[in-house]
Amino acid sequence: MKRTVTLFGALLLALFLPLTAFAADGRVIYDGNAMEYVFEPGSDDSPTDLFPDFKGVMPGDQLTERVTVKSQLKDKTKVKIYLRSLGARDDSKAFLSQLGLKVKKSDENDMAYMFDAAADDAAQLSDWVYLGTLYAGGEVNLDVILSVPASLGNEFQDQVGVLEWEFKIEEFPSEPDDPTPPPMGDDFRLGLFLALSGASLLMIFIILWALRKKNGKQEKPAASN
Amino acid sequence: MLNRMKAKCSVVALVAILFSFLNQGTLAYFSLVGKAASVVTSGNIQFAIHEMTDQGTEFPEEGVYILPGAVVSKEVSIENICAHPFYLRVKIVYGVDSKELSAEDCFKLQIDPARWILHEGWYYYNGEVSPGMTTENVFSHVEIVGSKVDNRYLGKTLQLTVLAQAVQSENNPLTDEKPYTASGWPAE
Repeated sequence: MKRTVTLFGALLLALFLPLTAFAADGRVIYDGNAMEYVFEPGSDDSPTDLFPDFKGVMPGDQLTERVTVKSQLKDKTKVKIYLRSLGARDDSKAFLSQLGLKVKKSDENDMAYMFDAAADDAAQLSDWVYLGTLYAGGEVNLDVILSVPASLGNEFQDQVGVLEWEFKIEEFPSEPDDPTPPPMGDDFRLGLFLALSGASLLMIFIILWALRKKNGKQEKPAASN
Repeated sequence: MLNRMKAKCSVVALVAILFSFLNQGTLAYFSLVGKAASVVTSGNIQFAIHEMTDQGTEFPEEGVYILPGAVVSKEVSIENICAHPFYLRVKIVYGVDSKELSAEDCFKLQIDPARWILHEGWYYYNGEVSPGMTTENVFSHVEIVGSKVDNRYLGKTLQLTVLAQAVQSENNPLTDEKPYTASGWPAE
């Protein structure tokens, strides 16, 4: 029975693992209906924090954070999306000026970094930089690479640096010759997910029931002796 | 003539208005700016030195009375109380509250050389101290050397101080797995 419980636990874990695979990414979601942005995952230091992986960094670290900018729009609308940096807050400059930061669009590796400077600087992102045109459900990924020099001194232990970015969306109506947006792989279909989960659980119970029945048959003759 | 001019102007104006309406179709409906304040935090290295007796109680801060030849129970270990692993070294410093006397050779300690590697006056922990881990004892008892601590030391205070230093082990490769080859040990 212990073995089957372990098996059951492992299967349950496998069912829910894909849901948490991207939990560490930063996400900017433009809700076209509510006309607002949702910034995830946030943190204790800032509700709009996009850098969950840039916590407790140590000298010599080179870390990459993926930030996904996603558009949730009504059909027949497209958006142009832009990014700019306001740089570091005044009380963060001493710390963030020690770190290097690079930003690039994830799927265009041949593209030069749109930002490559000290982390406190606005540099190439002082003005709006066009990230792309998104259709309903579309998204663009940014790779943010943080470099912490090995020479970072003890005086920078336990520091908090806040970096401010602005995102701008411009909505446009779709035009007839616009490309059809490809289906998004990460569209969350609750009904389908629940149906698959239910079917999987049912299968597990059937297997467990069959195993138990089989074990019961094997144990009976031994008990009579 | 004036009326014809007016009519022409009106037509031109009307066409301009129509064009402006047509052009509106390619202008943005809405634009919206949102600000994200993202946070980078740095870690730290922290440890605690534990000084216990073999009775499981803390070694008294005020010290203990000693006699020549006595063996005092004092178990010293170090705990990693931060989120990052580190390399560790300790130094034993002896002292006495008298300018005429020396504390050298007054104490005898048993330090495991396999666990603590002596290098240039420091004992380096042989390995990495992971978060939450407590090292094995640096030493567990202190012997007061009877042949050294004679009547001149009557009423004096002998001090044994354990100094500890740590340096991060992440991004800090060693040569031949020798912890003293790590970078970043504080200058003495």
